[in-house]
Amino acid sequence: MINRRDFLRHAAVGTAGVSLLGLPFAAEAAQNIHLTILHTNDQHSRIDPFPDDGRKYGGMGGMARRATLVEQIRQQEPNVLLLDSGDIWQGTPYFNFFGGELEYKLMSDMRYDAATLGNHDFDNGLKGLEEQLPHAAFPFVSANYDFSKTILQNRFQPYRVFEKQGVRIGVFGLGIELEGLVSKNNFGETVYTDPVAVAREMVQELRQAQKCNLVICLSHLGYSYKEEKIDDLKLANRVAGIDLILGGHTHTFLETPELVRHESGHETLVNQVGWSGLFLGRVDFAFSRRTKQRTDVRTALVPVNTPVTTS
Amino acid sequence: MTRYIPKAVGGLLLALSLASCQRPWVASPRLAETDVPVARAIPPDPHLEAKIIPYREQVTAKMEEIVGHAPVALGKADYQSPLGNFVVDLMLEESRSLYSGPIDMATTTNGGLRVPIPLGAVKVGTIFELMPFENELVVLTLKGSTVQEFFDQAAGVGYAPIANATYTVQGGKATAIKIGGEPFDPARNYTLVTSDYLAGGGDNLGVFRQALKTEKVGIMMRDAILQHIRKLTAQGRAIGSDTTNRVTVLP
Repeated sequence: MINRRDFLRHAAVGTAGVSLLGLPFAAEAAQNIHLTILHTNDQHSRIDPFPDDGRKYGGMGGMARRATLVEQIRQQEPNVLLLDSGDIWQGTPYFNFFGGELEYKLMSDMRYDAATLGNHDFDNGLKGLEEQLPHAAFPFVSANYDFSKTILQNRFQPYRVFEKQGVRIGVFGLGIELEGLVSKNNFGETVYTDPVAVAREMVQELRQAQKCNLVICLSHLGYSYKEEKIDDLKLANRVAGIDLILGGHTHTFLETPELVRHESGHETLVNQVGWSGLFLGRVDFAFSRRTKQRTDVRTALVPVNTPVTTS
Repeated sequence: MTRYIPKAVGGLLLALSLASCQRPWVASPRLAETDVPVARAIPPDPHLEAKIIPYREQVTAKMEEIVGHAPVALGKADYQSPLGNFVVDLMLEESRSLYSGPIDMATTTNGGLRVPIPLGAVKVGTIFELMPFENELVVLTLKGSTVQEFFDQAAGVGYAPIANATYTVQGGKATAIKIGGEPFDPARNYTLVTSDYLAGGGDNLGVFRQALKTEKVGIMMRDAILQHIRKLTAQGRAIGSDTTNRVTVLP
Protein backbone atom coordinates (compact mmCIF):
# COMPACT_ATOMS: atom_id res chain seq x y z
CA MET A 1 0.00 0.00 0.00
CA ILE A 2 1.24 3.44 -0.82
CA ASN A 3 1.30 5.74 2.15
CA ARG A 4 1.07 9.46 1.81
CA ARG A 5 4.74 10.15 2.03
CA ASP A 6 5.60 7.58 -0.56
CA PHE A 7 2.91 8.96 -2.78
CA LEU A 8 4.31 12.43 -2.48
CA ARG A 9 7.77 11.17 -3.23
CA HIS A 10 6.39 9.26 -6.14
CA ALA A 11 4.73 12.37 -7.45
CA ALA A 12 7.81 14.37 -6.76
CA VAL A 13 10.58 12.25 -8.19
CA GLY A 14 8.58 10.38 -10.74
CA THR A 15 6.45 11.45 -13.56
CA ALA A 16 8.13 13.38 -16.28
CA GLY A 17 4.75 14.65 -17.44
CA VAL A 18 4.29 16.64 -14.28
CA SER A 19 7.96 17.51 -14.21
CA LEU A 20 7.73 19.53 -17.35
CA LEU A 21 5.45 21.96 -15.60
CA GLY A 22 8.00 23.35 -13.20
CA LEU A 23 8.47 27.00 -12.33
CA PRO A 24 11.62 28.85 -13.33
CA PHE A 25 14.57 27.48 -11.38
CA ALA A 26 16.24 30.80 -10.68
CA ALA A 27 13.27 32.23 -8.85
CA GLU A 28 13.58 29.72 -6.07
CA ALA A 29 17.02 28.31 -6.36
CA ALA A 30 18.04 30.12 -3.24
CA GLN A 31 15.47 28.29 -1.19
CA ASN A 32 16.63 24.84 -2.24
CA ILE A 33 19.47 22.71 -1.09
CA HIS A 34 21.48 21.14 -3.85
CA LEU A 35 23.38 17.93 -3.50
CA THR A 36 25.79 16.66 -6.12
CA ILE A 37 26.67 12.98 -6.08
CA LEU A 38 29.86 12.17 -7.96
CA HIS A 39 30.80 8.56 -8.39
CA THR A 40 33.11 6.01 -9.93
CA ASN A 41 33.18 2.23 -10.17
CA ASP A 42 35.66 -0.39 -11.34
CA GLN A 43 38.61 1.97 -11.45
CA HIS A 44 40.87 -1.07 -11.82
CA SER A 45 44.06 0.73 -10.79
CA ARG A 46 43.85 2.99 -13.82
CA ILE A 47 46.07 5.74 -12.45
CA ASP A 48 47.08 7.03 -15.87
CA PRO A 49 44.78 7.73 -18.81
CA PHE A 50 44.07 4.95 -21.29
CA PRO A 51 46.96 4.74 -23.76
CA ASP A 52 46.17 6.92 -26.74
CA ASP A 53 46.83 4.14 -29.24
CA GLY A 54 43.63 4.11 -31.22
CA ARG A 55 41.71 1.94 -28.78
CA LYS A 56 38.22 2.87 -27.70
CA TYR A 57 38.36 5.66 -25.11
CA GLY A 58 42.09 6.04 -25.87
CA GLY A 59 43.53 9.10 -24.12
CA MET A 60 40.60 9.34 -21.70
CA GLY A 61 40.61 8.93 -17.93
CA GLY A 62 43.44 9.41 -15.47
CA MET A 63 43.16 10.09 -11.76
CA ALA A 64 44.97 13.46 -11.81
CA ARG A 65 42.50 14.69 -14.42
CA ARG A 66 39.59 13.35 -12.44
CA ALA A 67 40.89 15.32 -9.46
CA THR A 68 40.77 18.50 -11.54
CA LEU A 69 37.22 17.74 -12.62
CA VAL A 70 36.10 16.97 -9.07
CA GLU A 71 37.70 20.17 -7.82
CA GLN A 72 35.96 22.23 -10.50
CA ILE A 73 32.62 20.75 -9.48
CA ARG A 74 33.36 21.32 -5.79
CA GLN A 75 33.90 24.99 -6.57
CA GLN A 76 30.58 25.23 -8.39
CA GLU A 77 28.44 23.14 -6.07
CA PRO A 78 27.87 23.67 -2.37
CA ASN A 79 27.32 20.04 -1.39
CA VAL A 80 29.28 17.26 -3.01
CA LEU A 81 29.58 13.58 -2.11
CA LEU A 82 32.25 11.57 -3.93
CA LEU A 83 31.64 7.82 -3.85
CA ASP A 84 33.05 4.61 -5.32
CA SER A 85 31.38 1.26 -5.93
CA GLY A 86 34.35 -1.08 -5.76
CA ASP A 87 37.05 -2.81 -7.78
CA ILE A 88 39.40 0.05 -7.13
CA TRP A 89 42.18 -2.47 -7.67
CA GLN A 90 43.66 -4.77 -10.30
CA GLY A 91 44.33 -3.94 -13.89
CA THR A 92 47.61 -2.07 -14.22
CA PRO A 93 51.20 -2.63 -13.03
CA TYR A 94 50.60 0.03 -10.37
CA PHE A 95 48.58 -2.54 -8.48
CA ASN A 96 50.96 -5.40 -9.21
CA PHE A 97 53.92 -3.44 -7.91
CA PHE A 98 52.48 -1.28 -5.14
CA GLY A 99 49.52 -3.32 -3.91
CA GLY A 100 46.97 -0.52 -4.24
CA GLU A 101 48.51 2.14 -2.03
CA LEU A 102 48.64 4.79 -4.74
CA GLU A 103 44.99 4.24 -5.66
CA TYR A 104 43.96 4.81 -2.02
CA LYS A 105 46.26 7.81 -1.61
CA LEU A 106 44.93 9.56 -4.70
CA MET A 107 41.32 8.84 -3.76
CA SER A 108 42.08 10.32 -0.35
CA ASP A 109 43.51 13.42 -2.02
CA MET A 110 40.34 13.76 -4.07
CA ARG A 111 38.43 13.56 -0.79
CA TYR A 112 36.34 10.53 -1.51
CA ASP A 113 33.58 10.28 1.08
CA ALA A 114 33.03 6.51 0.93
CA ALA A 115 33.62 3.39 -1.13
CA THR A 116 32.47 -0.20 -1.05
CA LEU A 117 34.43 -3.37 -1.75
CA GLY A 118 34.49 -5.13 -5.11
CA ASN A 119 35.66 -8.68 -5.68
CA HIS A 120 39.02 -7.50 -7.02
CA ASP A 121 39.65 -5.57 -3.83
CA PHE A 122 40.24 -9.02 -2.29
CA ASP A 123 42.91 -9.87 -4.88
CA ASN A 124 45.76 -9.53 -2.42
CA GLY A 125 43.81 -11.35 0.24
CA LEU A 126 42.43 -9.94 3.48
CA LYS A 127 46.01 -9.24 4.51
CA GLY A 128 46.65 -7.17 1.40
CA LEU A 129 43.52 -5.16 2.10
CA GLU A 130 44.42 -4.69 5.74
CA GLU A 131 47.88 -3.44 4.81
CA GLN A 132 46.54 -0.75 2.48
CA LEU A 133 43.65 0.52 4.63
CA PRO A 134 45.86 3.04 6.44
CA HIS A 135 46.36 4.78 3.06
CA ALA A 136 42.62 5.34 2.67
CA ALA A 137 41.38 8.48 4.40
CA PHE A 138 37.84 7.55 3.38
CA PRO A 139 35.66 4.83 4.93
CA PHE A 140 34.56 1.61 3.26
CA VAL A 141 30.92 0.71 3.75
CA SER A 142 29.96 -2.93 3.56
CA ALA A 143 26.63 -4.21 4.86
CA ASN A 144 26.48 -7.78 3.57
CA TYR A 145 29.99 -9.07 4.17
CA ASP A 146 30.55 -10.35 7.68
CA PHE A 147 34.21 -9.95 8.54
CA SER A 148 33.78 -10.85 12.20
CA LYS A 149 35.79 -14.08 11.88
CA THR A 150 38.61 -12.40 9.97
CA ILE A 151 41.50 -10.03 10.56
CA LEU A 152 39.29 -7.25 9.17
CA GLN A 153 36.83 -7.52 12.04
CA ASN A 154 35.46 -4.07 12.96
CA ARG A 155 37.31 -2.36 10.11
CA PHE A 156 34.20 -1.57 8.07
CA GLN A 157 30.80 -0.17 8.85
CA PRO A 158 27.59 -1.14 7.08
CA TYR A 159 26.71 2.48 6.34
CA ARG A 160 27.65 6.09 6.84
CA VAL A 161 25.38 9.07 7.28
CA PHE A 162 26.46 12.39 5.80
CA GLU A 163 24.80 15.67 6.63
CA LYS A 164 24.75 18.58 4.20
CA GLN A 165 22.96 21.77 5.30
CA GLY A 166 20.62 19.71 7.42
CA VAL A 167 19.89 17.12 4.75
CA ARG A 168 20.82 13.64 5.89
CA ILE A 169 22.19 11.19 3.34
CA GLY A 170 22.63 7.53 4.22
CA VAL A 171 25.14 5.52 2.20
CA PHE A 172 25.40 1.74 2.57
CA GLY A 173 27.45 -0.82 0.68
CA LEU A 174 26.63 -4.19 -0.90
CA GLY A 175 29.13 -6.69 -2.26
CA ILE A 176 28.85 -9.58 -4.68
CA GLU A 177 28.98 -13.26 -3.71
CA LEU A 178 32.66 -14.09 -3.40
CA GLU A 179 32.44 -17.87 -3.67
CA GLY A 180 33.49 -18.93 -7.17
CA LEU A 181 34.55 -15.39 -8.05
CA VAL A 182 37.37 -14.86 -5.59
CA SER A 183 39.81 -17.51 -4.48
CA LYS A 184 38.92 -18.89 -1.05
CA ASN A 185 42.51 -18.17 0.00
CA ASN A 186 41.83 -14.51 -0.57
CA PHE A 187 38.49 -14.00 1.15
CA GLY A 188 39.04 -16.51 3.94
CA GLU A 189 36.24 -16.56 6.49
CA THR A 190 34.42 -13.54 5.08
CA VAL A 191 30.71 -14.43 5.03
CA TYR A 192 28.43 -13.14 2.27
CA THR A 193 24.82 -12.53 3.22
CA ASP A 194 21.74 -12.00 1.08
CA PRO A 195 21.85 -8.44 -0.33
CA VAL A 196 18.04 -8.16 -0.51
CA ALA A 197 17.46 -8.90 3.17
CA VAL A 198 20.37 -6.69 4.18
CA ALA A 199 19.20 -3.82 1.96
CA ARG A 200 15.75 -3.94 3.59
CA GLU A 201 17.37 -3.66 7.01
CA MET A 202 19.53 -0.80 5.80
CA VAL A 203 16.56 1.12 4.42
CA GLN A 204 14.71 0.64 7.69
CA GLU A 205 17.72 1.74 9.73
CA LEU A 206 18.61 4.71 7.57
CA ARG A 207 15.08 6.00 7.01
CA GLN A 208 13.64 5.39 10.46
CA ALA A 209 16.43 5.36 13.02
CA GLN A 210 18.85 7.65 11.20
CA LYS A 211 16.15 9.95 9.73
CA CYS A 212 17.85 10.06 6.37
CA ASN A 213 16.33 12.11 3.57
CA LEU A 214 18.17 10.23 0.86
CA VAL A 215 19.35 6.62 0.80
CA ILE A 216 22.18 5.61 -1.51
CA CYS A 217 23.43 2.07 -2.08
CA LEU A 218 26.99 1.54 -3.27
CA SER A 219 26.66 -1.81 -5.00
CA HIS A 220 29.18 -4.15 -6.53
CA LEU A 221 26.48 -6.68 -7.44
CA GLY A 222 26.41 -5.91 -11.16
CA TYR A 223 23.85 -4.07 -13.27
CA SER A 224 21.74 -6.83 -14.78
CA TYR A 225 21.93 -10.58 -15.32
CA LYS A 226 19.60 -12.74 -17.35
CA GLU A 227 19.84 -15.49 -14.76
CA GLU A 228 18.45 -15.32 -11.24
CA LYS A 229 21.68 -13.92 -9.76
CA ILE A 230 20.94 -10.74 -7.83
CA ASP A 231 21.73 -7.49 -9.64
CA ASP A 232 21.04 -3.78 -9.21
CA LEU A 233 17.81 -3.80 -11.20
CA LYS A 234 16.46 -6.79 -9.25
CA LEU A 235 17.51 -5.13 -6.00
CA ALA A 236 15.57 -1.98 -6.89
CA ASN A 237 12.55 -4.10 -7.78
CA ARG A 238 12.64 -6.09 -4.56
CA VAL A 239 13.59 -3.45 -2.01
CA ALA A 240 11.60 -0.26 -1.64
CA GLY A 241 13.24 2.81 -0.22
CA ILE A 242 16.60 3.12 -1.94
CA ASP A 243 16.78 6.40 -3.87
CA LEU A 244 19.97 5.77 -5.78
CA ILE A 245 21.98 2.64 -6.52
CA LEU A 246 25.48 3.37 -7.74
CA GLY A 247 26.61 0.12 -9.26
CA GLY A 248 29.69 -1.62 -10.55
CA HIS A 249 31.19 -4.99 -11.47
CA THR A 250 29.59 -5.36 -14.92
CA HIS A 251 31.48 -2.34 -16.35
CA THR A 252 28.20 -1.06 -17.72
CA PHE A 253 28.15 2.27 -19.54
CA LEU A 254 24.72 3.86 -19.12
CA GLU A 255 23.76 6.91 -21.11
CA THR A 256 21.29 7.82 -18.45
CA PRO A 257 20.44 6.25 -15.10
CA GLU A 258 17.75 3.60 -15.17
CA LEU A 259 14.60 4.42 -13.23
CA VAL A 260 13.10 1.40 -11.49
CA ARG A 261 9.65 1.63 -9.95
CA HIS A 262 9.00 -0.67 -7.02
CA GLU A 263 5.47 -2.01 -6.66
CA SER A 264 5.07 0.26 -3.64
CA GLY A 265 5.54 3.21 -5.95
CA HIS A 266 9.01 4.05 -4.66
CA GLU A 267 11.41 4.89 -7.42
CA THR A 268 15.09 4.07 -7.51
CA LEU A 269 17.65 5.46 -9.90
CA VAL A 270 20.40 3.04 -10.92
CA ASN A 271 23.60 4.38 -12.39
CA GLN A 272 26.98 2.96 -13.38
CA VAL A 273 29.83 4.56 -15.32
CA GLY A 274 31.66 1.81 -17.18
CA TRP A 275 35.12 1.31 -15.75
CA SER A 276 38.67 2.63 -15.47
CA GLY A 277 37.57 6.14 -14.48
CA LEU A 278 36.88 7.11 -18.09
CA PHE A 279 33.80 8.94 -16.89
CA LEU A 280 32.84 10.56 -13.65
CA GLY A 281 29.27 9.76 -12.72
CA ARG A 282 27.13 12.66 -11.62
CA VAL A 283 23.62 12.79 -10.20
CA ASP A 284 22.27 16.02 -8.77
CA PHE A 285 19.44 16.26 -6.30
CA ALA A 286 17.51 19.34 -5.30
CA PHE A 287 15.89 19.29 -1.88
CA SER A 288 13.06 21.63 -1.14
CA ARG A 289 11.83 22.41 2.31
CA ARG A 290 8.13 21.72 2.30
CA THR A 291 6.39 24.60 3.94
CA LYS A 292 3.05 26.22 3.49
CA GLN A 293 4.54 28.21 0.64
CA ARG A 294 3.29 26.90 -2.60
CA THR A 295 6.49 27.96 -4.32
CA ASP A 296 8.45 25.49 -2.24
CA VAL A 297 6.54 22.56 -3.59
CA ARG A 298 7.85 23.18 -7.00
CA THR A 299 11.31 21.76 -6.58
CA ALA A 300 9.75 18.40 -6.86
CA LEU A 301 9.14 19.14 -10.47
CA VAL A 302 12.40 18.52 -12.19
CA PRO A 303 12.72 16.81 -15.53
CA VAL A 304 13.98 13.26 -15.28
CA ASN A 305 14.26 12.94 -19.01
CA THR A 306 16.68 15.72 -19.79
CA PRO A 307 18.85 14.64 -22.70
CA VAL A 308 22.21 13.39 -21.57
CA THR A 309 25.43 14.58 -23.09
CA THR A 310 27.94 11.87 -23.72
CA SER A 311 31.26 11.93 -25.45
CA MET B 1 12.38 28.90 -20.15
CA THR B 2 9.32 29.64 -18.10
CA ARG B 3 6.83 27.04 -17.04
CA TYR B 4 3.92 27.20 -14.71
CA ILE B 5 2.15 24.61 -12.64
CA PRO B 6 -1.52 24.39 -13.53
CA LYS B 7 -3.54 25.39 -10.51
CA ALA B 8 -5.04 21.95 -10.06
CA VAL B 9 -1.69 20.18 -9.90
CA GLY B 10 -0.18 22.81 -7.68
CA GLY B 11 -3.15 22.61 -5.37
CA LEU B 12 -2.89 18.86 -5.12
CA LEU B 13 0.81 18.99 -4.25
CA LEU B 14 0.19 21.78 -1.79
CA ALA B 15 -2.49 19.75 -0.08
CA LEU B 16 -0.19 16.77 0.15
CA SER B 17 2.64 18.86 1.43
CA LEU B 18 0.47 20.22 4.20
CA ALA B 19 -0.73 16.77 5.12
CA SER B 20 2.64 15.32 5.92
CA CYS B 21 5.14 17.02 8.13
CA GLN B 22 7.40 14.16 9.18
CA ARG B 23 9.67 14.60 6.25
CA PRO B 24 10.70 18.18 5.71
CA TRP B 25 12.88 17.57 2.69
CA VAL B 26 11.80 16.33 -0.67
CA ALA B 27 14.48 15.10 -3.00
CA SER B 28 14.30 15.34 -6.73
CA PRO B 29 17.01 14.35 -9.15
CA ARG B 30 18.41 16.60 -11.83
CA LEU B 31 20.01 14.50 -14.47
CA ALA B 32 21.76 16.85 -16.81
CA GLU B 33 25.02 15.07 -17.50
CA THR B 34 25.30 11.81 -15.61
CA ASP B 35 28.52 10.51 -17.14
CA VAL B 36 31.01 13.31 -17.35
CA PRO B 37 33.91 12.37 -19.63
CA VAL B 38 37.33 12.55 -18.02
CA ALA B 39 38.50 14.00 -21.30
CA ARG B 40 42.02 14.61 -22.50
CA ALA B 41 41.41 18.37 -22.52
CA ILE B 42 41.19 18.41 -18.71
CA PRO B 43 44.56 19.33 -17.23
CA PRO B 44 45.89 16.91 -14.62
CA ASP B 45 45.77 18.18 -11.06
CA PRO B 46 49.38 19.21 -10.35
CA HIS B 47 49.35 17.95 -6.76
CA LEU B 48 48.16 14.47 -7.74
CA GLU B 49 50.38 14.37 -10.79
CA ALA B 50 53.41 15.12 -8.61
CA LYS B 51 52.41 12.27 -6.32
CA ILE B 52 52.03 9.86 -9.23
CA ILE B 53 55.36 10.63 -10.93
CA PRO B 54 57.69 8.70 -8.60
CA TYR B 55 55.41 5.66 -8.79
CA ARG B 56 55.24 5.92 -12.57
CA GLU B 57 59.03 6.06 -12.76
CA GLN B 58 59.24 2.97 -10.61
CA VAL B 59 56.70 1.15 -12.79
CA THR B 60 58.80 1.98 -15.83
CA ALA B 61 61.96 0.87 -14.05
CA LYS B 62 60.39 -2.36 -12.85
CA MET B 63 59.28 -3.18 -16.36
CA GLU B 64 62.96 -3.15 -17.27
CA GLU B 65 63.87 -5.66 -14.57
CA ILE B 66 65.42 -8.82 -16.03
CA VAL B 67 63.76 -11.90 -14.53
CA GLY B 68 65.19 -14.68 -16.65
CA HIS B 69 67.12 -15.80 -19.66
CA ALA B 70 65.99 -17.70 -22.75
CA PRO B 71 68.76 -19.47 -24.69
CA VAL B 72 66.34 -19.86 -27.60
CA ALA B 73 63.31 -17.80 -28.52
CA LEU B 74 59.98 -19.43 -27.64
CA GLY B 75 57.38 -19.01 -30.37
CA LYS B 76 53.92 -20.39 -30.89
CA ALA B 77 52.48 -22.78 -33.44
CA ASP B 78 49.45 -25.02 -33.87
CA TYR B 79 48.87 -27.92 -31.45
CA GLN B 80 52.20 -27.76 -29.65
CA SER B 81 54.92 -25.18 -29.59
CA PRO B 82 57.80 -24.04 -27.40
CA LEU B 83 55.76 -21.09 -26.13
CA GLY B 84 52.46 -22.94 -25.81
CA ASN B 85 54.01 -25.88 -23.98
CA PHE B 86 56.04 -23.62 -21.72
CA VAL B 87 52.99 -21.66 -20.62
CA VAL B 88 50.57 -24.54 -20.10
CA ASP B 89 53.22 -26.55 -18.25
CA LEU B 90 53.94 -23.70 -15.86
CA MET B 91 50.22 -23.06 -15.39
CA LEU B 92 49.89 -26.66 -14.21
CA GLU B 93 52.97 -26.57 -12.01
CA GLU B 94 52.26 -23.23 -10.34
CA SER B 95 48.57 -24.07 -9.81
CA ARG B 96 49.35 -27.42 -8.25
CA SER B 97 51.28 -25.69 -5.50
CA LEU B 98 48.31 -23.43 -4.73
CA TYR B 99 45.28 -25.64 -5.28
CA SER B 100 44.28 -28.20 -2.67
CA GLY B 101 43.21 -31.05 -4.98
CA PRO B 102 44.79 -32.83 -7.92
CA ILE B 103 44.90 -31.07 -11.29
CA ASP B 104 45.06 -33.28 -14.36
CA MET B 105 45.69 -30.85 -17.19
CA ALA B 106 46.24 -27.25 -18.21
CA THR B 107 45.32 -25.34 -21.34
CA THR B 108 45.34 -21.86 -22.80
CA THR B 109 44.98 -20.56 -26.32
CA ASN B 110 47.58 -19.14 -28.66
CA GLY B 111 45.49 -16.00 -29.15
CA GLY B 112 46.12 -15.07 -25.54
CA LEU B 113 49.89 -15.32 -25.91
CA ARG B 114 50.55 -12.02 -27.59
CA VAL B 115 54.28 -12.07 -28.31
CA PRO B 116 57.05 -14.71 -28.35
CA ILE B 117 59.54 -14.93 -25.51
CA PRO B 118 62.62 -13.49 -27.20
CA LEU B 119 66.09 -14.91 -27.19
CA GLY B 120 68.20 -13.57 -24.35
CA ALA B 121 67.18 -11.47 -21.39
CA VAL B 122 63.52 -11.64 -20.42
CA LYS B 123 62.17 -8.57 -18.67
CA VAL B 124 59.06 -8.05 -16.56
CA GLY B 125 57.83 -5.87 -19.41
CA THR B 126 58.21 -8.81 -21.81
CA ILE B 127 55.83 -10.86 -19.71
CA PHE B 128 53.36 -7.97 -19.55
CA GLU B 129 53.51 -7.89 -23.38
CA LEU B 130 53.14 -11.66 -23.58
CA MET B 131 50.17 -11.63 -21.21
CA PRO B 132 48.59 -8.16 -21.16
CA PHE B 133 45.23 -9.45 -19.97
CA GLU B 134 44.08 -9.52 -16.40
CA ASN B 135 43.21 -13.18 -16.54
CA GLU B 136 43.36 -15.39 -13.53
CA LEU B 137 43.73 -19.12 -13.26
CA VAL B 138 40.75 -21.31 -12.48
CA VAL B 139 40.42 -25.04 -11.96
CA LEU B 140 37.52 -26.61 -13.83
CA THR B 141 36.03 -29.96 -12.96
CA LEU B 142 34.87 -31.54 -16.21
CA LYS B 143 32.84 -34.64 -16.97
CA GLY B 144 34.52 -37.27 -19.17
CA SER B 145 32.19 -36.42 -22.04
CA THR B 146 33.12 -32.72 -21.76
CA VAL B 147 36.81 -33.62 -21.77
CA GLN B 148 36.32 -35.61 -24.98
CA GLU B 149 34.50 -32.63 -26.49
CA PHE B 150 37.34 -30.32 -25.43
CA PHE B 151 39.99 -32.56 -27.02
CA ASP B 152 37.91 -32.71 -30.20
CA GLN B 153 37.76 -28.92 -30.25
CA ALA B 154 41.50 -28.67 -29.59
CA ALA B 155 42.07 -31.12 -32.45
CA GLY B 156 39.81 -29.08 -34.71
CA VAL B 157 41.16 -25.59 -34.04
CA GLY B 158 44.78 -26.39 -33.20
CA TYR B 159 45.28 -23.30 -31.07
CA ALA B 160 44.90 -24.85 -27.62
CA PRO B 161 48.13 -26.37 -26.26
CA ILE B 162 47.53 -28.88 -23.44
CA ALA B 163 49.79 -29.85 -20.57
CA ASN B 164 50.04 -33.39 -19.20
CA ALA B 165 48.18 -35.02 -22.09
CA THR B 166 48.86 -36.48 -25.51
CA TYR B 167 46.51 -37.23 -28.38
CA THR B 168 46.27 -37.96 -32.06
CA VAL B 169 44.35 -35.80 -34.50
CA GLN B 170 42.49 -37.94 -36.95
CA GLY B 171 39.84 -36.58 -39.28
CA GLY B 172 39.48 -33.46 -37.17
CA LYS B 173 38.83 -35.47 -34.01
CA ALA B 174 41.00 -36.42 -31.03
CA THR B 175 41.85 -40.08 -30.61
CA ALA B 176 44.31 -42.06 -28.49
CA ILE B 177 43.98 -39.48 -25.71
CA LYS B 178 46.24 -40.05 -22.73
CA ILE B 179 46.09 -37.92 -19.62
CA GLY B 180 49.00 -38.12 -17.20
CA GLY B 181 50.22 -41.08 -19.22
CA GLU B 182 46.99 -43.03 -18.63
CA PRO B 183 44.41 -43.74 -21.31
CA PHE B 184 41.52 -41.30 -21.14
CA ASP B 185 38.58 -42.69 -19.16
CA PRO B 186 35.30 -41.15 -20.35
CA ALA B 187 33.55 -42.42 -17.24
CA ARG B 188 35.45 -40.23 -14.78
CA ASN B 189 35.77 -36.52 -14.09
CA TYR B 190 38.96 -34.59 -14.78
CA THR B 191 40.31 -31.29 -13.49
CA LEU B 192 41.86 -28.74 -15.81
CA VAL B 193 43.44 -25.40 -15.05
CA THR B 194 42.88 -22.56 -17.51
CA SER B 195 42.18 -18.82 -17.49
CA ASP B 196 38.90 -17.39 -16.26
CA TYR B 197 38.51 -15.92 -19.74
CA LEU B 198 38.52 -19.32 -21.42
CA ALA B 199 36.45 -20.82 -18.63
CA GLY B 200 33.77 -18.29 -19.48
CA GLY B 201 33.64 -19.50 -23.07
CA GLY B 202 36.22 -17.12 -24.54
CA ASP B 203 38.12 -17.95 -27.75
CA ASN B 204 35.21 -20.14 -28.88
CA LEU B 205 35.96 -22.81 -26.31
CA GLY B 206 32.34 -22.83 -25.21
CA VAL B 207 32.79 -26.39 -23.97
CA PHE B 208 34.24 -25.10 -20.69
CA ARG B 209 30.94 -23.57 -19.79
CA GLN B 210 29.77 -27.13 -19.10
CA ALA B 211 32.20 -27.34 -16.18
CA LEU B 212 30.70 -29.02 -13.12
CA LYS B 213 32.73 -26.76 -10.87
CA THR B 214 34.90 -23.66 -11.30
CA GLU B 215 37.38 -22.71 -8.59
CA LYS B 216 39.83 -19.85 -8.51
CA VAL B 217 43.44 -20.82 -8.00
CA GLY B 218 44.23 -17.44 -6.47
CA ILE B 219 46.82 -16.20 -8.93
CA MET B 220 46.71 -14.12 -12.07
CA MET B 221 48.01 -15.84 -15.18
CA ARG B 222 50.75 -13.24 -15.68
CA ASP B 223 51.87 -13.56 -12.08
CA ALA B 224 52.08 -17.33 -12.51
CA ILE B 225 54.36 -16.85 -15.52
CA LEU B 226 56.53 -14.32 -13.72
CA GLN B 227 56.67 -16.44 -10.57
CA HIS B 228 57.73 -19.48 -12.58
CA ILE B 229 60.47 -17.66 -14.47
CA ARG B 230 61.80 -16.17 -11.23
CA LYS B 231 61.91 -19.67 -9.71
CA LEU B 232 63.82 -21.00 -12.72
CA THR B 233 66.30 -18.17 -12.43
CA ALA B 234 66.70 -18.72 -8.68
CA GLN B 235 67.48 -22.37 -9.44
CA GLY B 236 70.05 -21.34 -12.04
CA ARG B 237 67.87 -22.66 -14.87
CA ALA B 238 67.15 -21.03 -18.21
CA ILE B 239 63.71 -20.56 -19.75
CA GLY B 240 63.03 -23.55 -21.90
CA SER B 241 60.26 -25.73 -23.13
CA ASP B 242 59.44 -29.42 -23.05
CA THR B 243 59.48 -30.43 -26.68
CA THR B 244 58.45 -34.06 -26.25
CA ASN B 245 55.81 -34.85 -28.86
CA ARG B 246 52.30 -34.38 -27.48
CA VAL B 247 50.10 -34.22 -30.51
CA THR B 248 50.34 -36.48 -33.54
CA VAL B 249 48.49 -35.14 -36.55
CA LEU B 250 47.54 -37.85 -39.01
CA PRO B 251 46.97 -36.77 -42.60
